[in-house]
Amino acid sequence: MEFTRVWLPYLYLYGVGGVLFLIGLVMAVRSPGFQAKRRSDRRWFRLLIFGFVWYAAIHGLGILAALEGAA
Amino acid sequence: MMSFAAMLGWLPVLQDHGADGQSALAADAAAQAGTSPVFWIILIGYFIGVLGFGSYFARYNRTTQDFFFGGRRFSWWLITMSIVATGVGSHSFIKYSGKGFGHGFSSTMAYMNDWFFMPLFMFGWLPIIYFMQVRSIPEYFERRFNRGVRILATIALLIYMIGYIGIGFLTMTKTLLPVLEPQGWSQAQIIWVVAAVAGVYITFGGQTAVIFTDLLQGFILLIAGMVLFLLGLDFLGGFDVFWNALPAEFKLPLADYNKPADFNFVGIFWQDAIAGSIGFLFMNQGLIMRFMACRSVNEGRKAAAFNVLFLLPLSALAVSGAGWIAKAISVTNPEIISPDSAPDSVFTLMASVVASPAGFGFFVAAVTAALMSTVDTLINAVAAVVINDIYRPLVPHEKDRHYLNVAMVVSAVATLLGVGGAFLMDRIGDLYDAHGFFHATATPPLVTAIFLGIFWRRFTTAGAVSVFFIGTGLMLLAVKLPHELIGPFSHGIPTPEGEMPFKYVRALYNMVVCFGVGIGVSLFTQPKESKTLEGLTMWTVESARRFFKGGEPNDRPGERMELAWKVNDALPPGTISVDEEAAKTLAADPGDLVYLSDRRWWLGGLRSAHAKVHGATGPKGVVEIATDVEQAGHFLRQYGLRVEKEF
Repeated sequence: MEFTRVWLPYLYLYGVGGVLFLIGLVMAVRSPGFQAKRRSDRRWFRLLIFGFVWYAAIHGLGILAALEGAA
Repeated sequence: MMSFAAMLGWLPVLQDHGADGQSALAADAAAQAGTSPVFWIILIGYFIGVLGFGSYFARYNRTTQDFFFGGRRFSWWLITMSIVATGVGSHSFIKYSGKGFGHGFSSTMAYMNDWFFMPLFMFGWLPIIYFMQVRSIPEYFERRFNRGVRILATIALLIYMIGYIGIGFLTMTKTLLPVLEPQGWSQAQIIWVVAAVAGVYITFGGQTAVIFTDLLQGFILLIAGMVLFLLGLDFLGGFDVFWNALPAEFKLPLADYNKPADFNFVGIFWQDAIAGSIGFLFMNQGLIMRFMACRSVNEGRKAAAFNVLFLLPLSALAVSGAGWIAKAISVTNPEIISPDSAPDSVFTLMASVVASPAGFGFFVAAVTAALMSTVDTLINAVAAVVINDIYRPLVPHEKDRHYLNVAMVVSAVATLLGVGGAFLMDRIGDLYDAHGFFHATATPPLVTAIFLGIFWRRFTTAGAVSVFFIGTGLMLLAVKLPHELIGPFSHGIPTPEGEMPFKYVRALYNMVVCFGVGIGVSLFTQPKESKTLEGLTMWTVESARRFFKGGEPNDRPGERMELAWKVNDALPPGTISVDEEAAKTLAADPGDLVYLSDRRWWLGGLRSAHAKVHGATGPKGVVEIATDVEQAGHFLRQYGLRVEKEF
């Protein structure tokens, strides 16, 4: 399968989506509702990062599994 | 060794037919199931069971606050499971099985792209609606802008929700059609019967009943989807047969970048991951009411995070699995399920192939009853908007019971309008396309106005009004001139002759014009005074906490306690009193908010209430509560209470 068929959607999803996520994350951390001294807020920050990596990994591994079948 | 299906007692209907090589075997199986008494006993029994379950919990409704919001009392796990049923509503099984059959694992895309806006939801919108006690989207618009914008938002929101109710009714009808049509039922008759059942239920239920019915159905739907998938694997002869029957491209989790026109990655990214995700998290009135039913903002964050991280991927498998299995069957046994089967019929056909009448009855019942999860939430939300945004301002100062009665009438009217919507939607065609087009067109003005309102202090009332008028006008112009206006945003998506062009990627054009108009007009008009925006934007959310408490929040960390309780008639309404030592442990001062709940955690907050600390003069080891707090919490004498400070 061609590179553009396999990886272009992935790069677009986590490139464009990643920029939007990062803007949202920076806005959230800079808002008065987020206070780094609060332990729960620090946990939420880590969870937000984890969620992004979690989905990027699921989609990435899914593509690799499909490619393995094609090989 | 017994097969998985045999162990469950759900041997396939197909075995009665024998594989006689007829291409309509699956359709025959569906029609045959409709003549089986077992099928009808299971179907009707399931509906009665669900109705009874919801009605039992309806007795916890004492006020319109309970009817619409469940009384702000529930734990995250209870809310997240009830959200699942709404997210895996009946249209999901039909729609995604159809796309899974045609395009493979990429049918899961819409379920696995909701994380991008989670930071803004968790630290922006959720604290605002919770602490400012925003009961509806239009109410937010009035507080953020003015009454005129509220009216515009109310109209847009009601159109959006009634359209969704119509899609729900239509999809359920398409689920039952392969079974009932051979018995002489018409599509119109099925729509009316379905609407009557949903309307009766919601009219007597309310949000508490909806939450608990959806909790039950959330479990059942996930399990039904998984079991159906496993039965399908068993029918095929195991996972290896299934996996090897599918083409490699079919297994990719993301669709092709910009083709075909009816299912491409980039169009669905803008329609679903962007417009759809913002719509789901920020303007879904049904979802907002669920989060308002959480006992705290942190519980709401937990519910949202757990739902998106873990339950949505499981839901994607549950709703698409039937389509993937059907695809594998169409490769290995095309005489059973034809490769040319209509996408909207795939779920029902596949279920009829792999299950007996009893099993098939269960699957059809689970999916059709799930219509209520989607539709009853929306009908309840329509009633909330009409009562709080239209009726109460016109007819103020009536007793609560009066508004509850009017809410029931509104629910019935919304059901009738939903039936009208179903007949209209039926003229658009394929369910996935109709839903995608509806979403790409109906959500951008509201999404833009909410989004800019929350995250940009400089966004003006004139900007919001222009989004609704000029933005919508430019969107309608693109319906007339799609190639000229949407073409530059289309990423090279082809436009087949005779089909509506750019069904999904028009969401990008619609968002660009709405955001462009809103930002452009705001830059040239006068914003509201900062003071009037306190608590209504992400940048003033700390004011919302002060508003919620009615004073300065007390952020000193305290511990949760278990205490005996008794009623003290002398306490002012809505207050409690604890002893000095308990007040220290809780880190609570007079005037602080506390949450009281039955000590049995598994009730999920069903018996719980909020109150303010009146003083630290109570007897040792006992929390004294005012009479109204006892009534609100439905507390039982024999069980102690968990007490914790909020914030």
